[in-house]
Amino acid sequence: MSGFVSTRGQVGFNDLKIPGAWSRKIGKDLYEVFIGPQHPGSGHMRIIIRIDGDVIVEADPDMGYVHRTMEKLGEGREWIKGIPLYERMAIHDACNVTLPYVRAVEQLLGIEAPLRAKYLRVLLCEINRIAAYLYGFGIFGVFVGHSTMYMWPFGDREVWIELADWLTGARLTHSYPVFGGVRRDVPADFTNQLRKAIRYMRKRLEEYRKIYVDNPVIRARLEDVGVIPKNLAIELGITGPNLRASGVLYDVRYNDPYEVYDELDFEIPVFQEGDALARVWQRVEEIKQSLRILEQVADWLDKHPREPILHDRFWKTAPPLHKKIFETEGRAKLVPLYALLKVPKGKAYARAETARGEITYYVESDGGQKPYRVRIVSASARNAIVFKYILPGHRVMDLPTIYGSIDYFPPEADR
Amino acid sequence: MVPPKPVPKTKPRRGIFHAFKGNLEALMIGVKYFIDPKRFTLIYPKEYNKLREGYRGFIVLIKQKCINCASCARICPAAAMKMIRIPEVDEKTGKQKVKNWPVIDYRRCIFCGYCVDVCPTEALYHVPYHDVVYQNMAEMYLDLESFQKPPEYKAAEEGIPVRYIVDEERGLVKVPYKEGEK
Amino acid sequence: MDVIDVIVKIITWPPLWQLVVLGLVAPLGVVVGILWFERKTAARVQRRFGPLHVSPRIGGAIQLIADLMRYAFQEIIIPKTVDKGVFLIAPLTALVLSIVPVVAVPFTSVSHYWPIPMEYSVLISLALSTISAIFIVLAGWASNNKFSIIGGMREAYMITAYELMIILAILSVSAMTTSYNFVDVVLAQTGGKWFIILNPLAFLAAFISVLMATSGFPFEIPESENEVVAGPFTEYSGLLYGVNMGAAYIKRFVYSIFITLAFLGGWLPYGPGDGFISGYLIPSLVIIVKATILMAVFSFLRAVYGRYRLDQALDFAWKLLFPLALMGFGLGLLEAYIGLIG
Repeated sequence: MSGFVSTRGQVGFNDLKIPGAWSRKIGKDLYEVFIGPQHPGSGHMRIIIRIDGDVIVEADPDMGYVHRTMEKLGEGREWIKGIPLYERMAIHDACNVTLPYVRAVEQLLGIEAPLRAKYLRVLLCEINRIAAYLYGFGIFGVFVGHSTMYMWPFGDREVWIELADWLTGARLTHSYPVFGGVRRDVPADFTNQLRKAIRYMRKRLEEYRKIYVDNPVIRARLEDVGVIPKNLAIELGITGPNLRASGVLYDVRYNDPYEVYDELDFEIPVFQEGDALARVWQRVEEIKQSLRILEQVADWLDKHPREPILHDRFWKTAPPLHKKIFETEGRAKLVPLYALLKVPKGKAYARAETARGEITYYVESDGGQKPYRVRIVSASARNAIVFKYILPGHRVMDLPTIYGSIDYFPPEADR
Repeated sequence: MVPPKPVPKTKPRRGIFHAFKGNLEALMIGVKYFIDPKRFTLIYPKEYNKLREGYRGFIVLIKQKCINCASCARICPAAAMKMIRIPEVDEKTGKQKVKNWPVIDYRRCIFCGYCVDVCPTEALYHVPYHDVVYQNMAEMYLDLESFQKPPEYKAAEEGIPVRYIVDEERGLVKVPYKEGEK
Repeated sequence: MDVIDVIVKIITWPPLWQLVVLGLVAPLGVVVGILWFERKTAARVQRRFGPLHVSPRIGGAIQLIADLMRYAFQEIIIPKTVDKGVFLIAPLTALVLSIVPVVAVPFTSVSHYWPIPMEYSVLISLALSTISAIFIVLAGWASNNKFSIIGGMREAYMITAYELMIILAILSVSAMTTSYNFVDVVLAQTGGKWFIILNPLAFLAAFISVLMATSGFPFEIPESENEVVAGPFTEYSGLLYGVNMGAAYIKRFVYSIFITLAFLGGWLPYGPGDGFISGYLIPSLVIIVKATILMAVFSFLRAVYGRYRLDQALDFAWKLLFPLALMGFGLGLLEAYIGLIG
């Protein structure tokens, strides 16, 4: 493709194959509607649909409206500065999104976080996961016109954000894991509050079921809508709860356990149907499993208090003041070494299961203070393709249903 | 050591009376919350959330503790913390000399708290609030003087402080903040 | 004194009284109250406070007045691409036509206070109530916007779903009383024999089809925000948008009055006496209160339900609601046959 090298009249506007920017003939009875990017039901993206009557015959997901050159920005920053940067892909899922980056760098450094730090990471990851699922429920709820399901999960999400705030000091952008450990220990009485929140959430899930998932109106909207068959799900390479709802067993926590997920007793629910309703149930079941994980983590943390949360390589360079603060406040101060950290030459690869699916980081170091290359493949970027292949054949009113059930998050996809 | 295990599931079947039961359940739960809303909305200016100690709010410098090491400026991911050169007179020798002091630009700050955590002498600390109003952009670039004072917190004058605790029945519960709590 | 007498006479002249006071002023008051109630109800169920800050002591009750003022003073933008005449006329006509059916229903049994003869009031009022929907379709068409046109078409589809059902359901009371006169219908319900008890099927059918007709919540399809922005009203702004929304609520109020008369006993248990106050004002108030309660029930559903898909709504109407309305009609006939109705 010749792109913008245009002598006048040679390369027309139509030759630039930017979705939506070229015109072409569509069928005689078709109607082209641009859903987004400024539309109450689109998010930061555009879906171009062509409809025949009320039925979508063609759909073009057009993403990239919130592209922020994350990967390139990362190359210009010191290693530690990548953590606050990359968590801006999905700020309500911050720990899950940055964890594989931290783990990849740890691989290059040849260190591993202490056990307590691993448990703390899992703790925040699962809190994030629940909060992110609730966020998705809220958006999904308002997409099918259920305003109560919009407000309830956003309200209950506040419980988890409050806990994360207490643990890390920030509501969303926690910047919690650092190379070789985590930044803070749990505050006193945290685990008791956590257990209360777990019990509360179990009750609430039952109420969600009553007002939303089992509500006949909602059920009619979701059942057999947006079916992703098993083979198509594998073929398109979608990931996360959407993949598992289509009957494929793939969860990074199960297939390639990281941190302490192989020591915890939990289930990976796999639904068979692959429709929008199965995807909702998938998320409900996964929240239940996350609650189970959190219970075990809380028990473990109570049994093993006051263990180190930062790897010795960093912690032994810490001055006595740092150690005193950790003893009294549970706050592991960063050693100045982090700012000047040189990572040995090499390549590393790490992945994690975020709330929307698998996120992979490929990190390459040339031995300097900054990464040579950080390649990120985020879950939403892989899920976006679904719109193109699943929407045709559905009605216009199914578009928000499918959009919401995929739980697509544009800032994460565009990076 | 109990590894995770996959569990195949199917969505619950729809019974004969589903339409009746489902509608009834949904209406009942709506009525239940209509009678007892269990709300935990913060009516903001009238009451405000007294954040816990350890919250990563605005940052204040204790100049006496600062050893001019520039660790904070070096680790700042957003380049909000900068070292500025200020000439001053040494008390002992009486000589003119130039020292580097950190200042912060709140237009750039992302409140990650790296600077506070990296400071070897605890010369920086967070104040546990974040709702501060600046009149214009230039004011957000603090100089050394204003960096040493906690920012003015207007909400504190108007509202009553509350604190959220987790509750089993109601999710979060607002309790009035008592002086001296952490 | 003569002047005041004349003014009172003019105002209490039944056609004017019913069109202006009961058709325009009362609904506006009710709509303001109901919108506030709707927002407060949804807020309670959703664990929020709802409108509060305009008047915190009375729960933000005058929030709607503030909204109304905002609509009134907002600039009305008329895009260049619209069909200007139709664009302007459609919402206003829809508003007027949704008020007109009020003239054709009796608010009392005293014949002196009927605006028109009431022999065929059931038929006439139902026929008048069906016209205004066409202008919503027109508004969508005149806007020349893809979302508006899709929204207008959805409204057109919905007309096919609810129109017959609403007529069938309300006509079942005519079958029960063998009369097209609303006065006879109401008087047949004397002694607590309200037709909601005698014929709950027809009432349910009427209730659901009114929800459909006024885009009440499981059927809020033409204005479905997440696909078609604001449906037929996407291009409207300011007061014109307010008129559109007001027309929908007035329509719901008018239908509520129909249901009140047909199933909820009209002005009963009050027996209209002589004179303006006892014979006209109080029965009107009883009907308005009942209709308002009915509208509150409509509003509550917003908090509990999402919205159906368009084809599902049509399915629902013709596969479930139509048989339900027919059954209601049949039940009415049966009850009339065995002499259950006075």
